[in-house]
Amino acid sequence: MSQPLLSCPMLRPGRLLAVLLLTSGLLHGAQAQAQQRQNPVQEVLPKVVKIFGAGGIRNLQSYGTGFLVSPEGHMVTVWNHLLDQDRVTVILDDGRRYEARVLGAEPQLDLAVLQLEDVKVALPYFDLSKAEDIPAGTRVLGFSNMFKVATGDEPVSVLHGVVAARTSLNARRGAFEFPYDGPVYIVDAITNNPGAAGGVLTTRDGRLVGMIGKELRNAETSTWINYALPVTQLRETIGQIISGDFRPSRNRTEDDTNPRRYTAINFGIGLIPDVIQRTPAYVISIVEGSAAARAGLKREDLVVFLNGQLIQSCRMLQEELGWLEAGDTVKLVVRRDGQLISVELPVERLAEE
Amino acid sequence: MREFLLRLLPLICLAVLPGSLTVAVADDASLDQLEEQAFREAVALADASIVRIETVGGLDRVGQMLTSTGPTTGVVISPDGLIISSAFNFISQPTSILVQLADGRRFNATRVATDHSRMLTLLKIEATELPVPAAADPKEVKVGQWAIAAGRTYDLTVPNVSVGIVSALNRIWGKAIQTDAKISPFNYGGPLLNIDGKVMGILVPLSPQKSGETAGVEWYDSGIGFAIPMQEVLAAAERMKEGNDLHPGLLGLTLQGSGLLAGTPVIDRVRVESPADRAGVKEKDVIVAVDGQPVTRQAHVRHILGPKYAGDVLQLTLKRGDEELKVDITLVDKLTPWESGFLGILPVRRAVVGSEAPRGIEVRHVFDDSPAAKAGLKTRDLITGFNGSPVTTAAELVNLVSRMRPEEEASVEYERDGKTETLQLTLAAVPDDVPADLRSFPIPVGKSAKPAADAPAADAPEKDAPPAADKENDEAGTGRITGTLPGDTHRYWGYVPESYNPDWPWGLVVWLHPENDTMEAAIFKQWKSLCDRRGLILIAPQSEEISGWNLNEAGFVTDLVRSMQERYTIDPARVVLHSFSSGGNFAYHLAFKERELFRGVAVAAQPLLTPPPENDPDFRQQMYLCCGDQDLLLKRVEATASGLRKLKYPCAFRTLTGRSHEYPAADDTAEIARWIDLLDRI
Repeated sequence: MSQPLLSCPMLRPGRLLAVLLLTSGLLHGAQAQAQQRQNPVQEVLPKVVKIFGAGGIRNLQSYGTGFLVSPEGHMVTVWNHLLDQDRVTVILDDGRRYEARVLGAEPQLDLAVLQLEDVKVALPYFDLSKAEDIPAGTRVLGFSNMFKVATGDEPVSVLHGVVAARTSLNARRGAFEFPYDGPVYIVDAITNNPGAAGGVLTTRDGRLVGMIGKELRNAETSTWINYALPVTQLRETIGQIISGDFRPSRNRTEDDTNPRRYTAINFGIGLIPDVIQRTPAYVISIVEGSAAARAGLKREDLVVFLNGQLIQSCRMLQEELGWLEAGDTVKLVVRRDGQLISVELPVERLAEE
Repeated sequence: MREFLLRLLPLICLAVLPGSLTVAVADDASLDQLEEQAFREAVALADASIVRIETVGGLDRVGQMLTSTGPTTGVVISPDGLIISSAFNFISQPTSILVQLADGRRFNATRVATDHSRMLTLLKIEATELPVPAAADPKEVKVGQWAIAAGRTYDLTVPNVSVGIVSALNRIWGKAIQTDAKISPFNYGGPLLNIDGKVMGILVPLSPQKSGETAGVEWYDSGIGFAIPMQEVLAAAERMKEGNDLHPGLLGLTLQGSGLLAGTPVIDRVRVESPADRAGVKEKDVIVAVDGQPVTRQAHVRHILGPKYAGDVLQLTLKRGDEELKVDITLVDKLTPWESGFLGILPVRRAVVGSEAPRGIEVRHVFDDSPAAKAGLKTRDLITGFNGSPVTTAAELVNLVSRMRPEEEASVEYERDGKTETLQLTLAAVPDDVPADLRSFPIPVGKSAKPAADAPAADAPEKDAPPAADKENDEAGTGRITGTLPGDTHRYWGYVPESYNPDWPWGLVVWLHPENDTMEAAIFKQWKSLCDRRGLILIAPQSEEISGWNLNEAGFVTDLVRSMQERYTIDPARVVLHSFSSGGNFAYHLAFKERELFRGVAVAAQPLLTPPPENDPDFRQQMYLCCGDQDLLLKRVEATASGLRKLKYPCAFRTLTGRSHEYPAADDTAEIARWIDLLDRI
């Protein structure tokens, strides 16, 4: 499950150092000014912590990253296997060490809030109310203890990049095995490395933007993606967990099962036999007098969209039809003689219902 | 102290900077913002020309790779609907291609043609008045400039972006701009923009070492990405728009010495019936100029040849002796595959220590109906010369014979009963079939072996053996072996015959298990006796995930083979990959990736999913395929065998009667072992 090594160019210590030193004004020789003004990186680093917990077996790291959200030692990280033990160890950038216990978690958001114990002095923290949303193209910094590069009293590593897109990972069903369906930031830096989950994404001037997520592979392209969950999507739940008002959401797996209410033949559409992985959804017969016949569908039409959803195979078409409910309207786009043709079919109540 | 200096350094720098501190700080922050704004504006300028591409149907795998089903990107290059994209986006050979413009309109697209050199695909949609983006002036593209990669994959309304710089120009033999922006399937086919929003190039995966549709994809998001310069994209599109595919141009010659650091381009071999051959290029000619540009190193030649297409004309200036001549050569897309000649003998294998220098190659076996048999060569004859050159080792003889073609005349000098004779013969092609019977080669029982009845005494060093024996047992144990390589978590197991004798060369069978099953017990059971009988060592690396092999694990397997070669005496001519079912994909991949290491591939019940490289006399490889007659894959495995034969790889193929998709039975694996035993045939 680890990323291919090639996609982790930040591993090279020389470059890492350069990023740390030149945090502001990477390309225009403004180190001097950056050092003078309160350096945003220096403000962020003390708020990001290294976590050590369960794991250490094959492919499961025993380390991770988190960030402080209150002076009393409330800390946010991703909900993962690290937290499978009673206490985890949290180490601050200056080497201070705390034990922490899980206060609450919301698996739907991949979120966990921990409480550091025996906090006697106020800790540096992010003010969640100041977290903000940013558009694609904004330059960002990623802070995390990826690959456990930072040890002891060392601060975590910093990467820079831009927000490639703000999008939903679950826009297409089945593309990601990921419980969260809100917006995420896709980043063009390799932020999502082993141990990086729970780190933060900030703007170049250190404003909190997102929490770096777990390593995730896009099932559609088989590539690893780099993303962060917007803090604006998390802060309400974080607040509820801290105040004790939180009720975890129910597992939605039942809702996710396709009811398979309709198949193509319910509309009078006969499909080509589904023999290979991606049999294109060709119509091979139309039942006379059916909804499909009335809508003008023809033999050899290729169904390419259903209600705006791209249909890449017979299987996908049947899958999408399964979700329909009586009273819906199905908008189909078919390819016929090199042209795209739209038709609409009513979804009628099935006889046996 | 160091930290103090680091802090001090900026202050010292500051002292010499003009302008006050406060102004500088404001500039710094606003410069960041201005740059960000410039990125967004650059993308906004090209936005309307960046299209989303979706596909329907097609293959779910190409080679080892699951093909993408996600949307990909293309760029409008003519108002009347020509769209350029990366060929990688269509490797699944989709049934239908759909293009969605930035304004949301959707069109059915047809594939016009593909450029197999620059890996571009040209599409056409029935639309008019499409916005064509401005192309950057190629002279203005410089290393260090901002480079913004854009795709339309995550979101229809806003392109996804990655920002980097131009890292290099004229990469991949003069074909591509290199950038450190993150290039991946999310923006292949999209534009690489400069800060003014002009298109510098089209993003494609490329690799300097490999070619083909999936080459370079392993570098996604690595900071090494490539774009074809826009001027060349447009030129290629102009040639493609009538529907003609473009291919890299081939000459049909190889240069002496390998590696890109090799110096003077001296011609080593000219392929028969290749353009170079027809133009009269001869071996040992020295290339002094290409297209009028002087060349002194092999890399120069490749830089000029790299950007050329089949059909282009290339001018070579050659030096032959004292003469200088110019030839014009029209490049082609395909060369007649190389086919090696065959004598029809197996050489006697030699001990690696102890014996005096060989005088020639003793014949172990003469194949029926082979040129050697027809000319009257016999077992125990000692071959001492070939075509007038003296030969003393099998490697030398193979080298000479495999560089000749079937049907060519050759002469063989040999000793029989103390007399030297010469005979003439006509070489044949290496036969595909495996003889029904082949006596195994006897190896004297090794010193580390358990006492065997009447093992012939090994050579002189035997006396030194006892003190060294323990250590040898540690390093090179016999029987069932297991372990890991230092610094690697992969496990492996294997079997070394108890009769192992380090003074003699052993074949090495590398078993690559299929997905979800190491088949350890079954393979051990079948191969133990075969190894004992045929002088083979079995080694079975295990994939990290039982679910199957990852292409990145190729390094582990080759490291393991090299480690075996260090620990044991391995015959380089008989290092063989063996696999069944899905493991076969990995076997093919490894074989063609490590052509010097693996001399044979024996795969049961798995077709080859990617086109193999051309047969090459420098890398003699032989294949063995089999498949059950009840197996649904039979036709495809058969097609693989005939495809390999077309490329002139010697390829045995066996249909296993009454077998479905299952590992071959004992009789059939015995044939595989027999085939391995004849891989050193000449």
